[in-house]
Amino acid sequence: MSTGAGASDLLHAEDPGLDQIVSGEQSVTARSPLQLFWRRFRRDKVAMTALFFIALLVAVAILAGPIIKLVGAPGPNVQQTSALDDFGLPSGPSSEHLFGVDPIGRDVFARVLYGARVSLMVALIGTGLSVIFGSVLGIIAGFYRSWVDTIIARSLDVMLAFPVLLLGLGLATACSGENGCAGGLIQPGLSVVIAIIVLANTPYVARIIRGQVLSLREKEFVEASRSLGASNTRIMFRDILPNLVAPIIVYATLFIPANILLEAALSFLGVGVQPPTASWGDMLSDAVSIFDVAWWFMFFPGTALLLTVLAFNLVGDGLQDALNPKGTKSR
Amino acid sequence: MTRSLKWALALCVLLVLPFAVAACGGDDDDGGTDEQATDQGTPAQGQKGGTLVSLWAGDVDFIDPGSTYYQMGTQIVRATQKTLYTPKIDDATIAEPDMAEADPEVAEDGCTVTVRIKTGVKFSPPVDREVTSADVKYAIERGFFNTVNNGYAGAYFGSVDGAEVGVDPGTEIPGIETPDDSTVVFNLKPAEGEDRCPGGVVAGALQMPLSAPVPKEYAAPHDEKNPSAYGQNQVATGPYMIENDASGKAIGYEAGRRIHLVRNPNWDESLDNDPAFVDEIDIRQGNDDPTVMSREIINGESMINGDQPPPPAVLKQLLTRDKDKLALVPSGGGRWISMNTTVEPFDDINVRKAVAAGMDREALRLTRGGEVVGDIPTHYIPPGLVGFEEAGGMEGFGVDFMANPKGDKNLSAEYFKEAGFESGKYEGGEELLMVGDNEGVGAQTAQVAAQQLEEMGFKVQLRQVTHDAMYTKFCNRPKADVALCPNVGWLKDFPDPQTYLDPTFNGNNILPQGNSNWSELDVPEINQAMADAALLTDPAERAEAWAEIDRMVTEQAPAIMWIWDKNSNIKSENVGGVVDEDNGLWSLSHTSVR
Repeated sequence: MSTGAGASDLLHAEDPGLDQIVSGEQSVTARSPLQLFWRRFRRDKVAMTALFFIALLVAVAILAGPIIKLVGAPGPNVQQTSALDDFGLPSGPSSEHLFGVDPIGRDVFARVLYGARVSLMVALIGTGLSVIFGSVLGIIAGFYRSWVDTIIARSLDVMLAFPVLLLGLGLATACSGENGCAGGLIQPGLSVVIAIIVLANTPYVARIIRGQVLSLREKEFVEASRSLGASNTRIMFRDILPNLVAPIIVYATLFIPANILLEAALSFLGVGVQPPTASWGDMLSDAVSIFDVAWWFMFFPGTALLLTVLAFNLVGDGLQDALNPKGTKSR
Repeated sequence: MTRSLKWALALCVLLVLPFAVAACGGDDDDGGTDEQATDQGTPAQGQKGGTLVSLWAGDVDFIDPGSTYYQMGTQIVRATQKTLYTPKIDDATIAEPDMAEADPEVAEDGCTVTVRIKTGVKFSPPVDREVTSADVKYAIERGFFNTVNNGYAGAYFGSVDGAEVGVDPGTEIPGIETPDDSTVVFNLKPAEGEDRCPGGVVAGALQMPLSAPVPKEYAAPHDEKNPSAYGQNQVATGPYMIENDASGKAIGYEAGRRIHLVRNPNWDESLDNDPAFVDEIDIRQGNDDPTVMSREIINGESMINGDQPPPPAVLKQLLTRDKDKLALVPSGGGRWISMNTTVEPFDDINVRKAVAAGMDREALRLTRGGEVVGDIPTHYIPPGLVGFEEAGGMEGFGVDFMANPKGDKNLSAEYFKEAGFESGKYEGGEELLMVGDNEGVGAQTAQVAAQQLEEMGFKVQLRQVTHDAMYTKFCNRPKADVALCPNVGWLKDFPDPQTYLDPTFNGNNILPQGNSNWSELDVPEINQAMADAALLTDPAERAEAWAEIDRMVTEQAPAIMWIWDKNSNIKSENVGGVVDEDNGLWSLSHTSVR
């Protein structure tokens, strides 16, 4: 490259529009951080496609009932023995049952759609709670340091060392008795799955936030705020927290697919959502034993799971790039 | 007697029902229902020699013939031991003398049972001596030792004078006498408040594995250990023995891996009913994928299945293309959905009848593989038991609410109306607790049952737990107040109907733990009829009496009887398979390879 290149040449690669700005042909318009972020994100074709898929998935999950009616499929819990042969083996995809039926004659299409509800709900609620708990713990630990930090950080280390799947299995076995565990508070089902997800994710979120807070608390704006007499709470949640939004969003997006998989794994192991509620993990688990004669029963929920997780991961990566332009591209 | 019976039989059902195959070691006639069955029955012609390979998923419960209480243990005992009587290979309602010389003599009042045994039968090495009546006496005695812990000794031989469960090894039972080397006399004590004894039940139980002779001088030191080590050092009287070394150690048994049977050199063909064609039997365990196992057998040579049936997809393939490789036999058991008669609304007989009438039992059966895996019951005693024909056979008593396998919505509505629900559906709003299996076909059955009950207007709270927890934490505990148990079932111990109905529907057998009267049916007339029938000694009278009890229970509708199971047995092309109609599995001592 030649040595005499001017500023406009250097910026050229970044944005052709800058050419005009630098050369004075166009006036500079002020953009909010959100606008800046959106401009960057929009350019990421892969992430946009993934985002579109997620939007579609959410719509499908919410509108599962009407969609099923539209295609003429029976409800997710309707058992049609007429769709089974004389040996109780399920029939495959047909105009009547788009994705075939499961071994007790339930429509796989309907169950995949309703399964999306469970997956999304568990992942969003679980991730949301983990982010809230994790952020609060992380901010407190990072801000106060000293013994508060020691207690919180060490507790988080202990939580991180916890074998989450084993815990789930153990809870399911121990709490499947007459009255569940802890006076009936813990019984296999959605609440246990969400509790396990929160337990698994909170320490990760808290650790990351703590690290960020440790550096943020030394920044000038915090000192300024403190010298103006702001309370600790105010500094933590009004001054520091807004600066954490970017990492929180990025990590939350990356936790969601992991949690969808965790929910599927727990349901696969029988700890998750209790039948007859449809869940992708539960369907996969049932499909294993008859895969050689009913591929559709594994293929469709499996594909749904794969695409959903992939989409969230891609959006997560896109967000990271868009929110953190200084960082190296993650892809 | 009923207390110990209860406990013992519960063990049996727990061990067996997780597998779709079943039968705790009893008897079976074929009831004329197995039209698809092939290749079974007639001991027929077979070629001598060769090695038979049997693929199992798990292991036996106990290798000791005095401890085993499981279909697979019984299969081994039938090949390696001579029990006093053995169910006829192709008609299990007939007990043939095996170690015994002739039929048992039961006194009129049922208080003595006398058995004469064959002379000339020898124990396998290293014992190598002739069997005497004392060996039979010791075999029964050791069943009561706390080191052997036989599961049914108390239930069936507890009425022998002086018998007490859980005694120290070496304790003798004075009620078993051996006047000479070839005679055994069982002296029974009368039932409470009666002058008669349950000699009919004792005589029937002489075909259980516990009656196989055991040499005291050799076994006693092993029985001193806890648990007894006789199983790992056993000697045989049957055509085969577990391969052993000079000291008698059964090196052919590797728990969870392999059971290797070889010919018993001291076996005398002229003293046995078994042809014992093959030279060697190699039982390989750990084949826990039913599809893989089935393919191996179907495409392989000299192989049979053991404790695991082929999955429906394989059954379908065999029935359409390869019928010769499949044999279907009634298991001598059934499965039902119990309705707890102490829980509202099932305390109302009309509600129970309405549910029984409205249930689509074909849908339930489809979860296990459809028509091939069993018949849909019309009453309670299953095919393969004495009393089945007396109870009307396949047609039953013509009870309307058990007549339609697909369920009869109109009839169901009528019974609901009789119970006071004018809409023809249940109208109570309370949640009913149903506890079922959480995996496999059992889980599917539970979900189908729950859905059908919902359609009848019930609100069902379905809890799905492991099969084991379903029994031990819920259905076997009346305190748990489970309204519906969709995955329960029972198997005969031997072809006497008492072994089927008494543990499951006798009101005197409701126990706080280990209960198997899951419906908690407690009807005084039925309890009394059972107490009376237990004391009958004449087989024909017993059959009639228990058939009548069957009718009384059926009319109470305490359960939804939805299948009389059949066992599916598969084999390789070159195997001349013969099924033991009693045990419901291939007979190792009748099957041959070509």
